[in-house]
Amino acid sequence: MREYEAVIARVEELARQLGLRWDPVVFRMSGAEEIAEVASMGLPNRFVHWYWGGAYKEIRLQQDKSLLSILELVLNSRPAYAFLRRSNTYLQNVLVIAHVYGHADFFANNHWFQKSNKNMLNEAERHARSFRTYEARYGREAVEALLDSCLTVAASVNAFERDPARRRKRLVYFLEEHAPLEPYEREVLQAIREEAEYFDLIQRTHITNEGWATFVEATLLRELLTAREWAEVCVHLCARPTPYTLGYALFGAIRRRRGFEGALAARRYYEDVRLIDETLTQDLVDRLDLFVYDPRDRSRNTQVDAVKEMLIEQKLYRGEPRVEVEDPDHPRDLVLVHVEEGRKLDPRRIALYLKAVHVLWKHPVRLRANGKLYTYDRRGLSTA
Amino acid sequence: MRIHRGRIAQHKHDELLRAYLKQNLHELIQQKELVVDGKVKTQLSTLDLPTLRYGDDEAYLAQGAGGSGRGGGGDDGVQPVGGLLGGDHHGPEVRVELDFDEFVRLAQEVLLEELELPALQRVPRGGEVETEDLPELDDLDRMGLSADLNLEETLLASLMRTVRERGVLDYDVDVRQDGWYFVEDPRAARNHRSLEVYVLDISGSMRGDYLALVRKTIFLLWYALERRYPTNLRRYVVFQDVAEEKTREEFFSVESSGGTHISAGFEKAMEMLEGVSEYDTYLFLFTDGETSSGDFELAKRKYEEALDRFDLVCYGHVNPGSRGVGGFSEYVQEVARRRPNATFANLVDLDSVREGLREFLTRVDGGGKVACGSTRRSSRGWRN
Repeated sequence: MREYEAVIARVEELARQLGLRWDPVVFRMSGAEEIAEVASMGLPNRFVHWYWGGAYKEIRLQQDKSLLSILELVLNSRPAYAFLRRSNTYLQNVLVIAHVYGHADFFANNHWFQKSNKNMLNEAERHARSFRTYEARYGREAVEALLDSCLTVAASVNAFERDPARRRKRLVYFLEEHAPLEPYEREVLQAIREEAEYFDLIQRTHITNEGWATFVEATLLRELLTAREWAEVCVHLCARPTPYTLGYALFGAIRRRRGFEGALAARRYYEDVRLIDETLTQDLVDRLDLFVYDPRDRSRNTQVDAVKEMLIEQKLYRGEPRVEVEDPDHPRDLVLVHVEEGRKLDPRRIALYLKAVHVLWKHPVRLRANGKLYTYDRRGLSTA
Repeated sequence: MRIHRGRIAQHKHDELLRAYLKQNLHELIQQKELVVDGKVKTQLSTLDLPTLRYGDDEAYLAQGAGGSGRGGGGDDGVQPVGGLLGGDHHGPEVRVELDFDEFVRLAQEVLLEELELPALQRVPRGGEVETEDLPELDDLDRMGLSADLNLEETLLASLMRTVRERGVLDYDVDVRQDGWYFVEDPRAARNHRSLEVYVLDISGSMRGDYLALVRKTIFLLWYALERRYPTNLRRYVVFQDVAEEKTREEFFSVESSGGTHISAGFEKAMEMLEGVSEYDTYLFLFTDGETSSGDFELAKRKYEEALDRFDLVCYGHVNPGSRGVGGFSEYVQEVARRRPNATFANLVDLDSVREGLREFLTRVDGGGKVACGSTRRSSRGWRN
């Protein structure tokens, strides 16, 4: 790390001049394997689950082919931990360092992130420890089945939901409150829900967060690098995944309209839905070559409203079907209902999903969807 | 010391994958298009968390192919925009597809277990063969291992050189110039390469169970042959009325139609021998043996010709219905009893695959009579 000390000091100085503020950042030089591990599990020291294994394998494969290699990772913790890849070139790591300060500033100042759990790194480790104890006490298979179910229902979290009535319609909160769980099962469900909320926040601010970090990175590097190096960096910046380039373009638009101060204010108050809704224009959609594609008739809709609607829907519902608890005030029966009219659910997944819910609810579980009433009980799935 | 959580997670993931494959290998393997873009598509709902999904084709956000969106490309110039949700890798973005090589490896594991065959040790790739026998170092070469330096020859060479260069009768050994080594007689050395030509009948009747049996057999053959040779050169031929060479991917994604001209298959296979020397050559032909009328005599002649030109010709009569062996297969069965480098396997089920494999390996290892015993080429085959 010693060779980067001078450049880190310089980046910090420039960032302060721009008006950025952050909690301490700890840089850590690490190998590709460790980066793949943290990227697939979301947090280091988190409990080990087969589901991360698939992602880990995929990332390792990409690293080997160096198609899309993850250059950097930074955790929303206090202090913020940032991982630099040992095999990066010096210039790549300078890019990463500048990018990391964008994230650190976002973590410390964004309205939603300020309220987030900055201790999740340690919490996750504590969860992992207690899961291991339960495995020893209740058997590995029982705990794995429980974890599978909890992770499945945890998709229904919403870190932004403040209205208690609407919150209770979300399955994971309902189960936590009413399911007849053993104390250790309840603790596992609670732990998974907390972790899911931590990641949900990251997902709902992903474009804003990455866009801001890229925007800060570019602003700092323009000061820091020679013209030749800057030209090289521009190529890197353009080749980033869509959330980065889209977010970057949106912050660029805000600066053109409202100056750097305006961009600073946006990074404080915006999350993805608001950023897209207020900032995306037809001009940007055209420049980024975005469109809504319908595979049924192979049509492309390049209208800003359509793109915006699709993006916002993705952010609000994560592309997942909207399923709610039908009557959370009478928690004797669990009836779930798919609330989008005219949309169908994949019937092959329904039995597996209801089975996962049944592991937690332990009584018959019902789902209204596809014009039918599905019931899952000890005998399996039946349809009416 | 670091706990490699990523690797543990991957191990858990692969365990589940194996269990899934074991259950579904038969269905997966007979997909008409087994390999698409180097991947085997699977309906791995069990390897995903069983969250609910939409069942209908839906429009999605996309970017022109020139943009930086990623994910599996669908229609031309349309890249689905992925990665909109960062953080944890939940959600619909992780698709479970298997790399074809990995699929083969897992399938081999499952098949070996099912057939109760022992696992074989892998030959190091890259030209060297490990053997438990001590090599017979009965030849001399200017290059070799220092442990096998031939002192007498080396001193003599040194003496000659000093006389020649300086006119003095003295020893001044420079191993780089004077070294002579005991080495293996190159003609007795084990051949390191195999040429394997796989010929598949794709006439209308070859589908479903037929394909499953053929593919399972091929995977097991690969397993055995990869553990015998560090270098396997593989060529693929399909035939119906005509024969053509295919890539590996195409070979596993063929449409079946047309008649059966086995002669065309043999003829094309023999073309693959051109320019190939110092290889052990194998021909594997899979058919249901229903030759088109008029091809019988020609097929006989071509078969005889192939027997003269290949080291071993293996004929798989694919017969999942367990009917009697008739037609051209009956003829081959007869010939295989007489000719030492011909084998015939009636592939009815996995047990018969094991029998066929056993016979094949006996011929290969058979102690100098078949693959290695013929006097046509001394450099080929296994020593006694």
